Amino acid sequence: MTGTLAGLPMRAASALPTLAAVGVQRTAWLMLVFPLAGALVLLLGGRRTNRFGHVVGVAMPFASFVVAVITFVAMLGYPASQRARDVHMFTWISVGGFHVDAGLLVDQLSISFALLITGVGSLIHLFAVGYMSHDPDRRRFFGYMNLFVAAMLLLVLADNYLLMYAGWEGVGLASYLLIGFWQYKPSAAAAAKKAFVVNRVGVAGFSVAIMLMFATFGTVTYTGVFGQASSAGRGTATALGLLLLLGACAKSAQVPLQSWLLDAMEGPTPVSALIHAATMVTAGVYLIVRSAPIFNLSMTARLAVTVVGAVTLLFGAIIGCAKDDIKKALAGSTMSQIGYMVLAAGLGPAGYVFAIAHLIVHGFFKAGLFLGAGAVKHEMNDEVDMRRFGGLRVVMPITAATFTIGWLAIIGVWPFSGFFTKDPIIAAAFAKGGISGALLGSAAMIGAGITAFYMTRVLLMTFTGHRRWEPDAHPHEVPPVMTSPMIVLAIGAAGAGAFLMLGNRFVDFLSPVTGAPPASRGLITPVSGATLALVVLGAVIAWAMYGRREIPVTAPAARFPVVAARKDLYGDAVNEAVFMRPGQWLTRLSVYFDNRGVDGLVNTLAATVGGSSGRLRRVQTGFVRSYALSMLVGAVLLVGVLLLVRI
Amino acid sequence: MTSLSGALAAATITPPHIEYGQLSPLLVVFGAAVAGVLVEAFVPRERRRAFHLVIALGGLVAAFALIISVAATPSLFAHGSPGHVVAMGAVGVDGPTLFIQGTIVVLAFVSVLLIAESSHGVSPFAAQAAAVPGSAEEREGLLRGISHTEVYPLTLFAVGGMMLFPAANDLLTMFVALEVLSLPLYLLCGLARRRRLISQEAAMKYFLLGAFSSAFFLFGVAMLYGYSGSVSLSAIAAAAATNVSSATLLYAGIALVGIGLLFKIGAVPFQSWKPDVYQGAPTAVTALMASCTVVSAFGGLLRVFYVAFGQLTWDWRPAMWGVAILTMLAGAIIAITQTDVKRMLAYSSIAHGGFVLTAVVAATAAGLSASLFYLAVYGLTTIGAFAVVTLVRDPAGEANHLSKWAGLGKRSPWLAGVFAFFLLAFAGIPLTSGFAGKFAVFQAAAAGGALPLVIIGVLASAVAAFFYVRVIVLMFFSDPAPDGPTVVTPGLFTGAAVAVGAAATLVFGIAPEPLLALASHAAAHLFVR
Amino acid sequence: MIPGDYVALAVILFVIGAVGVLIRRNAMVIFMCIELMLNAVNLAFVAFARLHGTIDGQVIAFFVMVVAAAEVVVGLAILMAIFRSRRSASVDDANLLKY
Repeated sequence: MTGTLAGLPMRAASALPTLAAVGVQRTAWLMLVFPLAGALVLLLGGRRTNRFGHVVGVAMPFASFVVAVITFVAMLGYPASQRARDVHMFTWISVGGFHVDAGLLVDQLSISFALLITGVGSLIHLFAVGYMSHDPDRRRFFGYMNLFVAAMLLLVLADNYLLMYAGWEGVGLASYLLIGFWQYKPSAAAAAKKAFVVNRVGVAGFSVAIMLMFATFGTVTYTGVFGQASSAGRGTATALGLLLLLGACAKSAQVPLQSWLLDAMEGPTPVSALIHAATMVTAGVYLIVRSAPIFNLSMTARLAVTVVGAVTLLFGAIIGCAKDDIKKALAGSTMSQIGYMVLAAGLGPAGYVFAIAHLIVHGFFKAGLFLGAGAVKHEMNDEVDMRRFGGLRVVMPITAATFTIGWLAIIGVWPFSGFFTKDPIIAAAFAKGGISGALLGSAAMIGAGITAFYMTRVLLMTFTGHRRWEPDAHPHEVPPVMTSPMIVLAIGAAGAGAFLMLGNRFVDFLSPVTGAPPASRGLITPVSGATLALVVLGAVIAWAMYGRREIPVTAPAARFPVVAARKDLYGDAVNEAVFMRPGQWLTRLSVYFDNRGVDGLVNTLAATVGGSSGRLRRVQTGFVRSYALSMLVGAVLLVGVLLLVRI
Repeated sequence: MTSLSGALAAATITPPHIEYGQLSPLLVVFGAAVAGVLVEAFVPRERRRAFHLVIALGGLVAAFALIISVAATPSLFAHGSPGHVVAMGAVGVDGPTLFIQGTIVVLAFVSVLLIAESSHGVSPFAAQAAAVPGSAEEREGLLRGISHTEVYPLTLFAVGGMMLFPAANDLLTMFVALEVLSLPLYLLCGLARRRRLISQEAAMKYFLLGAFSSAFFLFGVAMLYGYSGSVSLSAIAAAAATNVSSATLLYAGIALVGIGLLFKIGAVPFQSWKPDVYQGAPTAVTALMASCTVVSAFGGLLRVFYVAFGQLTWDWRPAMWGVAILTMLAGAIIAITQTDVKRMLAYSSIAHGGFVLTAVVAATAAGLSASLFYLAVYGLTTIGAFAVVTLVRDPAGEANHLSKWAGLGKRSPWLAGVFAFFLLAFAGIPLTSGFAGKFAVFQAAAAGGALPLVIIGVLASAVAAFFYVRVIVLMFFSDPAPDGPTVVTPGLFTGAAVAVGAAATLVFGIAPEPLLALASHAAAHLFVR
Repeated sequence: MIPGDYVALAVILFVIGAVGVLIRRNAMVIFMCIELMLNAVNLAFVAFARLHGTIDGQVIAFFVMVVAAAEVVVGLAILMAIFRSRRSASVDDANLLKY
């Protein structure tokens, strides 16, 4: 293995000349400015902007969408090899020999994301006008949402890793603020903190990767890094790949850093739809695909990516099967679907395009599903337990219809979107060859069957069967301001897959950036046939269990596998056993354990770090003589080290 | 000093040649301090504060203007020269020094604003430091509403010492500057109006440990003098290059001088004074120490290790690595379980000192300019944070226990928001100045080949983010305590200090370029020898 | 006695002073031990001045004395204040700030 995929066409981003943007594309930075201005006006304007806050909040992402479309149309006017354009904004950091410009890279990959973020984002903002109409803090909500859109656009449009990192932290901050939006709920505050803390781990990986890039290549721009990537050793490429994967795992809720996403459902539902389904959580996939020239150099890093993806897609799907909370079931599904994308991205040029294609259609159908769940929750007095739903298709026909289309799309029934994007991933995994290919392909295929099971379960428990409502629930169809975004998303969920994948439209569009996958072998292959059979089987089992039988209002006692899945497959328990217990044990050993400081920071290394902190601070005895002693010891050590170095 | 001995040997005394123009910033600050002493002697008590304010703020503004005019003198940097050595070799005037002095003067100006705050009729300083806490004498002083106005000249003397410290071109001048900056600070620490016992205790600890560390520093100077026969930095460097004498003297000297400098920075294992002193001292004085003193101490450290020990980088680097690692980790880890906001900020300051040390280790122009930038932006953010701390009060004075800060975001969202912004800057979140600074130092360290140090630094900042976020969560996502502290409306001075801190944190986060360019321009030729 | 012996004596005095700082409880005595350390340094300076044949070291010794005198002034003020409020000169009693 020479470190590259032998025999596959390899066209890295660096191979393409990045031209300076001309004409209308020079104003691409307006995409960032609109939502940022919206956030500033709404957050700094205070109560004065309460009256028109939601109008500003919706108008700004929509304005960005218009700019994105104009930029996209201008791009289509260029030949495929000249579509990557750089928009220079200003010199951001310049220290010594190091220079970072704040610049935007408008290419096929980033514009796909920009359209998804602003398009789906605008629809979700519109939905939120209705959803948040009774919330006194709606203005602040839109301020945070606009902030998120701006940061997310910065993340995908940046032309260097450092600026991307700025966007990366920005979306993290916005996500953190929005998860904790209903701060009067202690669970929301705890979930926000958990998300932030878990993301610290990822950010540490990402920032070390940036430093390593700088140390190796002397630059952090995409062009600079990718241009020299092949000159770095394979060890460096592997290290970079694994560090970036760590960052991607945290942001995209991949095993082992998945634990925050389920808790993040404490945020308002539009947040779950936009940030924790359609856009932010896919940033990890973007990071991997964008860094393709690095991953192409390291088999090890790509293998790690595929393993993470495959494990997560099963992990998320199994969690999705057992959750009675509709949002958590969908969150498990999000983890699982992103697992598919990560798996595809790990397959190298054979999978990059499919990862992005699945990401885009996932943006449509998962946002639609979440909005549907939000509509139901809105009408059911904030109830999220599916055992308390049932029979809603009669009273909420539009919601039920759009949800059904989303269901068809996610389980991958022809001709809905998922079919066109998920099957190529499964096929590409098998095509990888060898035992690993067979294992990954089987995992992906089994995952498709489980997906069909749990999504059918969600659909049946919510919209069909008997009404198991709380006595005071009086659901009606939601107003048009909420249904219209769902309808548009449903159209996307139905048709986007076919539109993108038929005639290799998207593959041809994106391949100058990511490299082209091998030509497909037609729509119906043995793999797709088998997948479809599994999907049907999964759906039928779900119907047999939940459609035919009466569903008890309280969850029945269950045997081991279901219990495990209900508890997030013991994700928290494992965290606790691996990180917390030894930490607590160690701390209890210490006579002076003081727990005051570590109260909230559960579930991570925090307890261990906090434990050592609790003991270390005891060194600070308050006796000046012991301080002098520590100084003297330090002095002796320092003198000793300096004299020893000499010898 | 060699010239001095030569002069004495010849038995005729040549008057020393002093470049008053290039020393004018220092002279103005010391002059203002002396004028402050005269004010104490001759101006009636009730009008002293106004006089002091005019003298102190005016002196600092004048010093800043003079620093700029010195820096703008074309002859200073003519022909690629790094600067001049003035006052018979005692003081170096060069790019990094002027940058550091300018930073110190700006930070001192903001600190003086905090020190002068008394809009609520309460100065942060004791009425009579000599009165026993709880005595009738003290009560009388408080009732009469008096307070120690000596704090202004003391502050100016300390600031003058801080400006001289990084400029000192020989170790004796550096020692004198170290004492000139330290002695007033020892006193200032003990002058708190409230909680006087812990304030006095802080002063005592700072004094004893400071004097202890000075002794080490001085012993190191003696060793280096024994090695090279001179205390001038360039003479030591020259002696080290030719390896004239016993290496044991040289390396013991480096270590001992290093101890004195690392003590002022608060690097582990010489950090133990910092939490106690920062907690006990009046908050305005803590702000002064956490910003100006740290900047000055790093200036001195950089000059000594770049000029005198510049050729011995490979020898001192391993030890400095160890100190930097310990400092970053200990600061970040111990901060997690702190329950007092000032104490937490003290540990945070220790950790930040470690971050700057990573750039010092690089021993390059990039490392120098990154350190300069970091110190400037960190100082401004720190003063802003301590200014916020002075505003959160309960009947007993400042409410420093973190449990009192619960739910602050609900009662005063603006103040809590600004404090959260400062904490995010400390955590190094992008679009705050802390990010630009942290990136600059880590990048310099990585370029200097200290990648493991950078990795530990990144991990330490991830740990540090825990406790910053913990405070943000406490302020915004917890219910306020029923007997919680009130937030006083900031007076003009404190408000200005908070605003300056917040504006600098934001501006240097979004557009760090001008300041970075200035820092890298200042550091381009390193220190004058 | 050759200058090297004086340097050795200076080191011994310095260590005695440092140990004194660690083991004595009375703040005044600790302070005196620090003064002992400074005087050890002075001895070293003078010895090195003799060794190198320059008088810089002797001049520095005067500087150190002056600075030490200033330090005494400040130090005594602080120690007096703390003694008046606590009625104790033991540094171990001043132990409110910790952890």
